[in-house]
Amino acid sequence: MSAQVTAESTGVVLPPRRRSQLSRLERTLGGRGGLVGAGILLVLVLVAVLAPLLAPHSPEQIDAARVLAAPDLSHPFGSDALGRDVLSRVLYAFRTSLAISIGSVALAMLAGVPLGLIAGYRGGWVDAVLMRPLDMLLALPALLLAVSLVSILGPGSFVVLVAIAVIYLPILARVLRSSVLVVRERPYVLGARARGVGPLGIMVRHVLPNAVGPVLVQATVLMGFALQVEAALSFLGLGAQPPTPSLGLMLLDGYQVLQQAWWVDVFPGLAIALTVVAFLLIGDGLRRRYDPAGVAE
Amino acid sequence: MSPRTAFVVRRIALTIPTLLAMSVFVFALIRLVPGDPVRSMLGFRATPENVALVRHDLHLDQGLVSQYVAWITGALQGDLGRDYVSGVPVSTLVGQRLPVTLELVLLAMGLALVVGVPLGVAAARGSRIAGRLAGGFVVAGVAIPDFWLGTLLILLFAATLQWLPPAGWAPLGDGLGQNLRYIALPALALAVGEAAYILRTTRGAMLETLGQPYVAFLRAKGVPERSIVFRHALRNAAVPIVTVVGIQFGVLLSGAIVIESIFGLPGLGRLVVTAINQRNYTVVQGAVLAIATLFIAVTLVTDLLYGWLDPRVGAEGS
Amino acid sequence: MTVLELEDVRVDFAGEAGTTSALAGVSLTVAEGEILGLVGESGCGKSTLANAIMGLLAPAARLRGRIAFQGRELTTLGPREYRELRGDRLAMIVQDPLSALDPAFSVGSQVAEVVSAHRKVGRRAARERAVEVLREVGIPSAAERYGEPPHRFSGGMRQRVVIAAALANEPALLIADEPTTALDATIQAQILGLLRDLQARHRMATVLISHDLGVVAQLCDRVGVLYAGQLVELAPVAELFAHPRHPYTRTLIDALPGAGHARGRLPGLEGRVPDLADPPPGCRFAPRCPAAMPECATGPVLAGEGEHAVACWLDDTSRAATTAAVGPERSRA
Repeated sequence: MSAQVTAESTGVVLPPRRRSQLSRLERTLGGRGGLVGAGILLVLVLVAVLAPLLAPHSPEQIDAARVLAAPDLSHPFGSDALGRDVLSRVLYAFRTSLAISIGSVALAMLAGVPLGLIAGYRGGWVDAVLMRPLDMLLALPALLLAVSLVSILGPGSFVVLVAIAVIYLPILARVLRSSVLVVRERPYVLGARARGVGPLGIMVRHVLPNAVGPVLVQATVLMGFALQVEAALSFLGLGAQPPTPSLGLMLLDGYQVLQQAWWVDVFPGLAIALTVVAFLLIGDGLRRRYDPAGVAE
Repeated sequence: MSPRTAFVVRRIALTIPTLLAMSVFVFALIRLVPGDPVRSMLGFRATPENVALVRHDLHLDQGLVSQYVAWITGALQGDLGRDYVSGVPVSTLVGQRLPVTLELVLLAMGLALVVGVPLGVAAARGSRIAGRLAGGFVVAGVAIPDFWLGTLLILLFAATLQWLPPAGWAPLGDGLGQNLRYIALPALALAVGEAAYILRTTRGAMLETLGQPYVAFLRAKGVPERSIVFRHALRNAAVPIVTVVGIQFGVLLSGAIVIESIFGLPGLGRLVVTAINQRNYTVVQGAVLAIATLFIAVTLVTDLLYGWLDPRVGAEGS
Repeated sequence: MTVLELEDVRVDFAGEAGTTSALAGVSLTVAEGEILGLVGESGCGKSTLANAIMGLLAPAARLRGRIAFQGRELTTLGPREYRELRGDRLAMIVQDPLSALDPAFSVGSQVAEVVSAHRKVGRRAARERAVEVLREVGIPSAAERYGEPPHRFSGGMRQRVVIAAALANEPALLIADEPTTALDATIQAQILGLLRDLQARHRMATVLISHDLGVVAQLCDRVGVLYAGQLVELAPVAELFAHPRHPYTRTLIDALPGAGHARGRLPGLEGRVPDLADPPPGCRFAPRCPAAMPECATGPVLAGEGEHAVACWLDDTSRAATTAAVGPERSRA
C-alpha cells in the first residue's frame, strides 16, 4: 500500500523454458509469470466490465430476511448487514475501484511522462525546475499526502483519483527521466541530432519509444498499489461515498460486523489481494522484458 | 574537514529546504479549502465574534507571507496553534499521540527486519525452503492490504481465539505486558507486508553482493563461508537495505493512519483522520506537520547511516 | 620435487546450449621453486584451469582427471578440506585488483583475515603478520595505512595488497591469473618485478597465467601453450621462443611486434576460436592450421624428447606417441 514500493522481482520463480517453446505472447509478457498475471487480470477486467450481467442479484437490494446470512448456493459470498448480496456488491465495487486505480495511474502517466521526458532530455536548469517540486512531493508519505489532498478537496471518487495521480506522478516522472538519461546518449539519438532533427522530434520519435519501457513496468505495479490506496481512503470514509460502491467501503462494513459475519470482510479483501497479485506478476514479467537494467525502482 | 564530515554537514543542510517546502505545503492546506475554513471548523459555534477571534488568531486578516512566517515561527517554538474544538493546544495533542505512532511504527519495522533479513539471507544462499517461502510470502505480503490483514488478525486472535483485545490502548507506563497486548496485533498487521518487502530487498542485495569479484577472491583466500556471508556480504548488502528501510518508514507511517483507526490506537494517524472528518483544520495541519517531519527526520538518519556504512561515500561523491 | 601434477584434466560445463568442453585433457607438472607460464587467448581455458586447481569451479562444472598437490589428490577433497588448503598452502591472485578487495573493509584487515582463517593466532598477531607482509610487498607506511579502505589505493597498490593476502601464509603453490592485465604498463613492470623477487625469496611453485607472451617471457622457467582447452606445447621458455614446434605457438610468437619480420602488417590467423559447445574432433586448432591433415581429426598426444613437448602430428615424437596410443583407444577429443 505504498507509492514507494518497487517493481523489483517478487521472487516468484517459475521453472524456465527453452526459448523456442515460449510463444510470442509469452515473450512479450516476459515469461510464464507475466502470462499468468495477464490472464488473471484479463479475467478480472472482464468481470468488472460485465458485472451487471454476472451479478446474480442487485447490489442494492435490501433483504431483511437475509441479514448477515452465511454463504450458500444462492449467495456464494453471503449477505451483509442489510441483507444485500455480497458477491454482487463485490462485483460492482470492484468495477469502481479498478476504474479508479487504472484511471489514476493513467492520469499520472499523462502528466508525468512529458515532465520526465523534457526534464531528462534537456537537463540543466529545466531539469531542476521541473523535478524539484516533484521531489518535494516525495518527501511526504504517500497516504498522508493523499489524505491531505482529500482534506482540502473533500471526499469522493474523483478526488481520490486525482489524489492518487498526484502521489504517483513524481515516481513515474523520475523513472522516465532516469531512462531518458540513458537513452539520450545512444548512437541513434546522436545520429538524429547530427542530422539536424529538432529536439521535439528527437524526444518524441527517438527517445520516448525507447525510454518508455521502465515506466510501463512501474505503472503496472503502481496500479496494484493504487487499488490499495483507494481502498484505504474509502475505508477511512474519504473516498467513494455511498451509494457509490467501493471495496474499501465494503471492508469498513465488514470490519463493523467482523465477529458475526466474517464473509463481509474477507471477500472484498481477497478481491483486492488477487488483483494486486495479478498486477505484480505482470509487472515482474514486463520488467524482465522491458527493463532488465532495473531503472524502475 | 574530512570528506565524511563534509558529507554529514551537506546532508543535514539538504534537509532544510525539504522541511521548508513541506511546511509550505502543509501551511497551504488550510488556505486551499473551498469556503471558509474557520466557519467549517467552528461549526455551530461560528458566531461572528468567535469567527473574528479565530481569524485573528490564525492571522487570516494579514497577508499570506506574514501568515506563514507567524505560523512557522510558532511551530519552531513548539506552538502549533489551538484545537478549536476541544480548546487544547495542538502541540499537546501531538505530544500525547506521537509516542504511540512511534512505538507502533518502530515495533513493526523491528519485527519486519527480524523476520525479513534472515530469511532473505537464507534465500540468497540457496536454501530451498527459504526460497519457496520467499517467493509466495513476498507476493502475498505485498498484495494484501495491511488494514485488511488487521481485520483478519482481529477476527482470528481477538474474536475467535480471544487471546488478544481487538482494540484499545495501554501506554508503556501501565506496564510492558499490558502495552504489548494492545500493540501486538496492529504492529503485526503492519509488519507482515513490511517483512515481505524487506525479505525481497535483502535477497536481492545479498545475491548482488555474493556475485561480486571480491567474494571470489575471499573464497580463494580460504575464508570460511560463514564469514563471507555474514561479515562481508551482509555488511555490503546493508547499504541498500538501510536505504530501503528509510523509504519504507514512510510506508509504515501511511499504514499507521488506517491501522490506528482500526485498532483504536490514540496515535497521530487517527488524529489526522478524526480531525479531517471534523473539519478541524488546525489539528490537521499540526498532525500532518508532525508526521511529515518525523518522516524527514527518519530519512535523514538512514541517509547518515548509509554514509557511515559505505566508506566510499564522500570520497567519490555520494 | 613436484608440487603440482595434473593428469588428463577435463572440465565440462552443462549449459542451456548443451555441454561446453572448457578443458580437454590437460597434463602438466610444476616443481618446487619453478615458475610455469600458461599462455593462450581469451577463452582458451586458462582461468578454468586455475579455478579447477583451486577447487573454485562453478557447481555446473564437471571435472575429470587427476590433480595432485604435494602428493595429495585434490579432486576428491570435500569442501571443508579444500577451503583449509586455499589461502594457506594453495594461493591465487585474481585478475582485477580494483574489484578484488571488499570496499567496506580496510586493506589490512583483509590480509589479516587470511592469517586468522588458517592459523590459530590472536588478532594482534594476525595484524602484525599482515603489516609484515604488506611491507614485504612494498606498501609504504604499511603500519599506518593498515586501516585504510581499498579505494584510497591505486590499482598497483591494490594488487600488492592482493599479493600480500595471497602470500601471508607462505603457500607452496601460487597461481597468478593475469596479475598485471588490468594495470598500466609501468605498474605492470613493478608488479612483475615484485612477483619475481617474492618467488625467488620464498621458493614458491608458481603458475603464471597470461595472454601476454612478453610477461611470460620475462618471468617464467617453463611455458605451456593452451588453445581451446588443449595444451598444445610445453617447453622451457628460451627453447619455446627459439624453436616453437606447434603451428599455433609459431603464430603467437610471430605476432609479437619486433619479432624480426619486416615492417608492415603483423601476421595473423584466419578464422576464429572454435565453439567449445561443439568442438572439432581431435586437434582443435586444425580448422585454422595452415598445415592441417586428415589425421588431425584424431587428437595428437602431447609428447616430446627431453623438456620440450608438443601435441601435433607434424612432430615426430608426438606422432609416434599418438599412433601408439590410438591403437587401443579411438578418437580422443
